[in-house]
Amino acid sequence: MRSSERETLARHILKASSADATSVLVSTRDAALARFSRAAIHQHVAGKDTSVSVRAVIGKRSGVAGTNRLDDTSLASLVRRATDLARFAPEDPRLAPLPCGSPTSAPQGSYVAATAQADPRLRTQALEAIFSVAEERGQWCAGFAATGSSGYTVANDAGALASFDGTDAAINVKMNATDSTGFAEGYSTDIHGLDGRQIAERAATKATQTAAPRSVDPGVWTVILEPAALGELLVYLAGHFSAQTYDEGASFFSGALGTFQLDERLTIQDDYAHPLNPGMPFDFEGQPTQRLALVDHGTVSNIVTDSYWAQRLARENTGHALPAPNAWGPHARHMVVAVGTQTTDELIAQTERGLLVSRFWYIRTVDRKRAIVTGMTRDGTYLIENGKLAGGVRNLRFNQSIVDALRSCEFSSEQQRTGGYSYSCVVPSAKLQQFRFTSTTEF
Amino acid sequence: MDFEDLAARALNTASVRGAVYADVRFERNHTERIEVRDGVVAALGDDASSGYGIRTLIDGSWGFAASSDATTLGIDTCAARAVEIAKAGAGAAKRRIGAPPDRAYDDTFVTTVLQEPSDVSVGTRVALLLAAERALHVDPRIAVGRAWIDLWQTEKFFYSTIGSRIAQRILQSGSGLQAMAVDGTDVQTRTYPGDIGLYKSGGWEVIQEARLLETAARIGEEAVALLGAAQCPSGTFDIVLGGSQVSLQLHESCGHPAELDRVMGWEANFSGTSFLDISHLGTLRYGSDIVHIEIDNTLPGGMATCGYDDEGTASSRSDIVAQGTLVGYETSNDTARAIGRKSNACVRAQSWEYVPMIRMCNLNLAPGNIPFDHLFDDIRDGVYMESNRSWSIDDRRLNFQFGCEIGWEVKNGKRGRMLKNPTYGGMTPQFWGSCDAIADKASWMAWGSPNCGKGEPMQVGRTTQAAAPARFRNVAVGVGYDA
Repeated sequence: MRSSERETLARHILKASSADATSVLVSTRDAALARFSRAAIHQHVAGKDTSVSVRAVIGKRSGVAGTNRLDDTSLASLVRRATDLARFAPEDPRLAPLPCGSPTSAPQGSYVAATAQADPRLRTQALEAIFSVAEERGQWCAGFAATGSSGYTVANDAGALASFDGTDAAINVKMNATDSTGFAEGYSTDIHGLDGRQIAERAATKATQTAAPRSVDPGVWTVILEPAALGELLVYLAGHFSAQTYDEGASFFSGALGTFQLDERLTIQDDYAHPLNPGMPFDFEGQPTQRLALVDHGTVSNIVTDSYWAQRLARENTGHALPAPNAWGPHARHMVVAVGTQTTDELIAQTERGLLVSRFWYIRTVDRKRAIVTGMTRDGTYLIENGKLAGGVRNLRFNQSIVDALRSCEFSSEQQRTGGYSYSCVVPSAKLQQFRFTSTTEF
Repeated sequence: MDFEDLAARALNTASVRGAVYADVRFERNHTERIEVRDGVVAALGDDASSGYGIRTLIDGSWGFAASSDATTLGIDTCAARAVEIAKAGAGAAKRRIGAPPDRAYDDTFVTTVLQEPSDVSVGTRVALLLAAERALHVDPRIAVGRAWIDLWQTEKFFYSTIGSRIAQRILQSGSGLQAMAVDGTDVQTRTYPGDIGLYKSGGWEVIQEARLLETAARIGEEAVALLGAAQCPSGTFDIVLGGSQVSLQLHESCGHPAELDRVMGWEANFSGTSFLDISHLGTLRYGSDIVHIEIDNTLPGGMATCGYDDEGTASSRSDIVAQGTLVGYETSNDTARAIGRKSNACVRAQSWEYVPMIRMCNLNLAPGNIPFDHLFDDIRDGVYMESNRSWSIDDRRLNFQFGCEIGWEVKNGKRGRMLKNPTYGGMTPQFWGSCDAIADKASWMAWGSPNCGKGEPMQVGRTTQAAAPARFRNVAVGVGYDA
């Protein structure tokens, strides 16, 4: 559904609502993915849907209802359900007025027609290139090629009306050798910006270089995290910048905004307009999203808000609301870590002894307040000796405070978009002076 | 047009365009969520979603397309898209993995429900949560209280070109409480029941079974007490795990590695592979002799309990681990065929828009014969842990580390003082090999996991692991806090 159609639909719903205030979110999605293993395609899928969510406010009460049935009867029922729920809800004296929004423009490159229109053949061509690399290298591969488009319109009767259309393409490859594995990925809004063969080559090279992995002792190591690994860690820091987490006292810097210090070489922005990851310029309440520094040269400098938390903390609404109903507060969705001055190769060359981590797995919070997380390395962990990669090592488990790790860190001069099923960010490689591994595994 | 006619049209379109087999699954999903947070209703949502997914098989290659457009044009377009995808896959893939199912069913299934959730007003639901959440606030240090209810209804209508015609109505319900205590330097959380709430298939009776209001004050008190509790020691100890923690241990270290698609490498790039191998069937020592684990998708109250899976295979029971030895996997039609077996109906899709894939469904550890209180009897120096708060395991499901919300010292057979931040870790076969006692049926219960992630695109599965508290010997405790 095009943005003009979504806006017409949203206006129609607003007009039909008798609530004191109403907000409408229309979401549309058309996504496809070909997933493979050992040169067989075992998940080859596509899906298309448009859904509508209505938040009705009556006095200080609110309710949310959703549907993907767009006929008049279903939409009338939708508005009625949201309004009925609002009547059942107890009053929330802190309920904030709906934001009135203001015009925004989508960042350049956020929508690429070729990606939105990609057919199955375009995705399987990428797979064929990946299969060829696996065959040439004597390895087996697993991964996916995906394309998709999405669109959002938010409108409310306080005056907000905002629409965004975006596309996404991704190729993800894990190469498997006899006793080693390697991983590489690529993300872009433009399917033609991704090269399946080149991504597969990177993954295959990692698997080759880390063959016959040796065991190293756990303990405190200097590590260089490639972008995928740093991105996975960063996800577990994002929630700390939520106004809700901060106010509840659970953030690592609760009570110390503007004074809490990390390494001065660390700057983290929340930037929906970064050229490597251009995204939606407003939030799910229709409020323009601010591009702001969360950590500015080592100083924790901002928290993100939505209308509720902006009012509650008497701060500016930064436009970071999640879709309603949302009990989790605002969230930074486009984190960007600023680059340093040296390449990843130079960071390696300056490391006497350390580990290079391609990717982490199954990170979970162990201690929320101290931001201690545990997880495993996977798919390409290297020993660094005397400034050179010195072969693969068996995977290790870490237990590390992300905050402590970021007290002494530096970053490479190259950024890359990385992500997973619930996040997307732009990061360079990171060199962390102290990173604690606590056990090893058998591979 | 009704589902019958739309299905006939979808299957006919797929067949005419070249599919040797096709199935279509219509779903109507109704989701209700209420969450109270600090005295206000932070979420009050009611979502309805309906649509269908069509699977087609061409030259051993599957294609899947989903749509919410239930017009005849929408059906035709979606079926054609599923065929186009299967054909593209057949052209690119170097191996074929798909074959049609060999048996059709004409049947219905309805979840047993004692009280329909729709008979309980939204006002009553909200009032329960407000009262329970209020009861958590036993101390000013309770910074956040939460109480929630989830009600999920799924209606499925499955049709296939080999003649299956299956209608199912599945109800799942869940609720829980959480108190977060903060004292400036520490944050401690208690959740009830278990680590995520009590989730089962069923209706309002599942919410009542949780006894939120009656338990809230104790949960608040425990959260506050944890702030001043001693740190769990680090070292090697005997441990007893509460039932919900055994359930999660089972989920992560048996349920996932026994998924045959994972064993075959299909999840290698994301969820990972498995330390289990097809050649291990019947020989690998997974655990001690008292460890018996089965799939039972007929279990009353199980989150995965239904009549048929999303490939149209009838629910059944089958052994995964028998007397400590690996004897089975969770399978689909295609994966079971690869090892010369029949599917044990472990295929689920999150909703209409997702392709069906193997999930662990209801995976249960058989109860032992020792009353719960006697699990502690011959522990000289150990730790009892309850309610998971952290879980991590490597991508072959060997090296794991779990943390719990609360623990207690066990000295000379008696539970002693409370411990904060208890953690433990190990390697899966050694850990289950150290299991020397499982509590009896009196403390065995079905613990639902409503948020199991797997697949790409990521799908959330609703599983159950029925389990009782259990004892494990010589386990690494305090990992992560031992610096």
